[in-house]
Amino acid sequence: MRATRKLVILMIIAVLASAFALLAADKQSKSKSKQARAAGPAQMEENKKILHALNRLTFGPHPGDVEKVSAEGLDKWFEQQLHPDKIDNSQLEARLAPFRTLKMSTTEMVENFPPPQVVRALENGRMSLPSDPGKRAIYESRMAAYEQRQQKKEQTIDADMKTDAQGDEQMTPEQRNARQKDREARMFADIDSAQLLQMPPEQRYNNILKMTPEERVELARAVKGPEAMQLVDGMKPEQRETIQAILQPQLVVGGELAQAKVLRAIYSERQLEEVMTDFWFNHFNVFINKGPDRYMVTAYERDVIREHAFGKFRDLLVATAKSPAMLFYLDNWQSVGPDSDLAKYGPQRPGAQKRFRRFGMQPPPRPQANNKNRPSGLNENYAREIMELHTLGVDGGYTQKDVTELAKVLTGWSIQQPQRGGDFFYNERAHEPGTKHVLGHEIKEHGQDEAMQVFDILAHHPSTAKFISKKLAMRFVSDTPPQSLIDKMTETFLKKDGDIREVLRTMFRSPEFWAADAYRAKVKTPLEFVASAVRASGVDVQNALPLVQQLNKMGMPLYAMQPPTGYSMKAETWVNSSALVNRMNFALALGVGRLPGLTPNPQAMLHGENPSDTNAAVATLENTLLAGDISAQTHAVIEKQLSDPQVAQRRLDDPAKPPNYGAIAGLIMGSPEFQRR
Amino acid sequence: MAITRRVFLKGGALAIVGTSVIPSFLTRAVYAAETATAGTGKKRLVVLFQRGAADGLNIVIPHAEAAYYSMRPSIAIPRPKGNNGAIDLDGFFGLHPSMADFKPLWDAGHLAIVHAAGSPDNTRSHFDAQDYMESGTPGMKATEDGWLNRALAGMKEPAASPFRAVAMGGALPRTLAGSIPAVSMGNIREFTVGGRGPGGNIASNSFEAMYEQSVDTVLHGTGNETFEAVKMLRSADPEKYTPAPGANYPRGRFGDSLRQVAQLIKANLGVEVAFADIGGWDHHVNEGSIQGQIANLTRELSQSIAAFWTDLGDLGADTVIVTMSEFGRTARENGNRGTDHGHANVMFVLGGPVKGGKVYGRWPGLQTEQLYEGRDLAVTTDFRQVLSEAVYQHLGNKDLEKVFPGFDKASPRNFLKYLG
Repeated sequence: MRATRKLVILMIIAVLASAFALLAADKQSKSKSKQARAAGPAQMEENKKILHALNRLTFGPHPGDVEKVSAEGLDKWFEQQLHPDKIDNSQLEARLAPFRTLKMSTTEMVENFPPPQVVRALENGRMSLPSDPGKRAIYESRMAAYEQRQQKKEQTIDADMKTDAQGDEQMTPEQRNARQKDREARMFADIDSAQLLQMPPEQRYNNILKMTPEERVELARAVKGPEAMQLVDGMKPEQRETIQAILQPQLVVGGELAQAKVLRAIYSERQLEEVMTDFWFNHFNVFINKGPDRYMVTAYERDVIREHAFGKFRDLLVATAKSPAMLFYLDNWQSVGPDSDLAKYGPQRPGAQKRFRRFGMQPPPRPQANNKNRPSGLNENYAREIMELHTLGVDGGYTQKDVTELAKVLTGWSIQQPQRGGDFFYNERAHEPGTKHVLGHEIKEHGQDEAMQVFDILAHHPSTAKFISKKLAMRFVSDTPPQSLIDKMTETFLKKDGDIREVLRTMFRSPEFWAADAYRAKVKTPLEFVASAVRASGVDVQNALPLVQQLNKMGMPLYAMQPPTGYSMKAETWVNSSALVNRMNFALALGVGRLPGLTPNPQAMLHGENPSDTNAAVATLENTLLAGDISAQTHAVIEKQLSDPQVAQRRLDDPAKPPNYGAIAGLIMGSPEFQRR
Repeated sequence: MAITRRVFLKGGALAIVGTSVIPSFLTRAVYAAETATAGTGKKRLVVLFQRGAADGLNIVIPHAEAAYYSMRPSIAIPRPKGNNGAIDLDGFFGLHPSMADFKPLWDAGHLAIVHAAGSPDNTRSHFDAQDYMESGTPGMKATEDGWLNRALAGMKEPAASPFRAVAMGGALPRTLAGSIPAVSMGNIREFTVGGRGPGGNIASNSFEAMYEQSVDTVLHGTGNETFEAVKMLRSADPEKYTPAPGANYPRGRFGDSLRQVAQLIKANLGVEVAFADIGGWDHHVNEGSIQGQIANLTRELSQSIAAFWTDLGDLGADTVIVTMSEFGRTARENGNRGTDHGHANVMFVLGGPVKGGKVYGRWPGLQTEQLYEGRDLAVTTDFRQVLSEAVYQHLGNKDLEKVFPGFDKASPRNFLKYLG
């Protein structure tokens, strides 16, 4: 009886809500139709527009988003999204707070989580150990690991020189001793890891710090996978980072960054900023696993990409060009003008060769021994990618000669001590002298400013305007965006000095954005799929690492696209059997709560619906996950499954037990329609 | 002829001798003859892509060229003297010393080399050049399918196996895009929906029904291929095929890929063409010489391929393996002891029917005036000449104009005759 009454009330609410939504949409359609009177493409139905906007400008709707935007008005919501600073994001900030590296400078990261170069410096006595016990533990463990690696190397070299028949007797006492120590450490570590996992966090932390560095290295070997997560469970952020830095140093900086990216995509209220940050990072792609880029990408995304995501394109281009992350990734930091002082005279004290020349003398040639280990010529890599991938596009009308000339212009744009997290540094002595010619422009010799001049030319070039506009349209509208849309955006780009916000406005206001055939025309990339599934299902993310690992499996490891092209946004890249298998499995695992640290919330998914009313509950699920726009065949499959006892988990002796809605949610998220946005 | 052999095998050898002492290749042949739906007993072509533009001049070294040494003062591979130099092949060319696993294959006449091969298009963009090589249509961006898919498209196969065309990796490569269904998988073990329990089956069937009836043409097609493959894989259980003795795949993604391709082939799943790739060849900085980046990669490449060859055993007789990379690198080393984007490159061809132990193609020379645009090894063999011979002679697809549209040398006249 009570259940029925509740249902009636809910139905009334539902009807009222949809009536309001229709009214609001109708009001908008009236104002819209005035704007878009010119005969354009057939427009999508009004009630789909909000869903469409959320699908394109965010990482997918969160339950309640459609209603919220509907109440606020689509245009107003869009304008707000264009100004992220004005949107409160405190909930996300709280989730990101444990990841301290997100706010560190590159130098701080290098200092806190030392790379091999710093460890070597310590080994050689060029640096001293820090006094802070946590930091000290990290350094000591790194050094112990380093020493063991060195030892192993020597041992294998020794072993290679001996025949197999020779055994223990042939070992030096030192070697035998080392091996014995190695075995003992392994045994102790076994005991420790089992005990450690039982201890409360504080005690666990202190015990690990009390270990010898060798024991910690062994602990790192013994504790892998889920146990490694257990080991830091419940610790304060700083403690967790310290332990992780001891166990898996590469996981701290890159791991925090990747987790933060997933959390942002899921929980940020500034959704368009996340989408644009992702877009620009991918456009100006940097590969995190290339040497010191491990430490540089955090600042690159934070201070370069996100900072300029809605600004002028020129500023974004220049900021990327000055970023150590990019200069290292595309090798420009090592590019040296063939006729520069550095190439001719070597790394002498400043002014030394000037003294020679002042007296009309030829400076002495650099010593031959120096030649081998020092860069001494042009590297075209960055110059080419600037033109091909960052600005003009491959058909933008440049030649091999332009690439070489731009490479000369860019000589000297370098990094001060990249291995120590150093900053941008213009090295006058590496700069190629003389006039250069780029794209028909004469660039007079002017040091660092030459590049600024070329960046201005490139950023305002019609090919660049077209290339960027098309790429944006491909991200937001369709894999094959209509030329009319690209033209409009290009015009705005050129007229408004490459103002990205303005270009997005033009796109949002164009009838092409709202064309009927644009609705659900884009296939989600793995990141979009994973983020949208978590957002739609309201699963609470206590640990984002499993999501990061899913993306690795789906072929989209975050920050780890090696070629400078970045990831494709096209359907054909992401629709294949391997991808589909992974997506279906992920959807199921997410729905039923099989992923560690990701707890489904069936009550939230059901919006308080009575779970024993199967039909109403499924309708709510379909509404939550797909805004109710589900195909007849997907709905039919789900209905059929509900009657299957194994899926429903209903037993004859326990008829009251509700169906497994998590599995149903998994089926919906793995359905064909959920793969699109 | 083939029928006679099959009849003999089926009615003769097995019946008389009994299964216990039958060599494995004979039982496999019988099995292959009986499971006609899987399209077994076919010729196979395995295509391997070195992404990032491999430095062909440091892989197969023209050690008799003085210019090679003057242009590469710090990264040249020393002449074949002593243990650390190039492994001499014919007095002019030599293999990188880390590719010692290739030498026995060369000596046995299974391995051939085509040098100064490449694309006629002059792009030095990785993206475009890979795209052209995979589509098989240099300079034409509008091509939507890949040459390896078209290589099968002309060949009718009524009861085709979903594994006719397979790629290892998370994404379907451009080479295999097209009208013939192709399967890509990152890992054989994980290629199942909903796990292996009974609940998994129900979920799998539900998804299958959704995708089967979907009006979404893109997802519908891929969905159907996926489920067919999942089911077939489950019953064939390729994982029970452990690598043959002596097939020591090195650790890493590429070795894993080839091991799994071998498993699929040995499980009789009807593989006709397979694709795998190995990245990381873009050595602008510190390329290395007999050691370093290039040495590590060439070692991984050659050890993986040699292990694959050993693993295939007598199935190698019907298999041709070909390697390619989007373009070569500058003949001169750059200012960072690396090399920049160049033009022609080297291709390896390995297989039962290959007339190996020979470097094919005309050598253009490394004098400055012989170099393409004064900087790169010139292309004397179009990569499509190499591929079209394999398609025509080995796979038996004679319609080369469809496989390589617009290619004026698409005819047996222009074959290098590495397949006889």
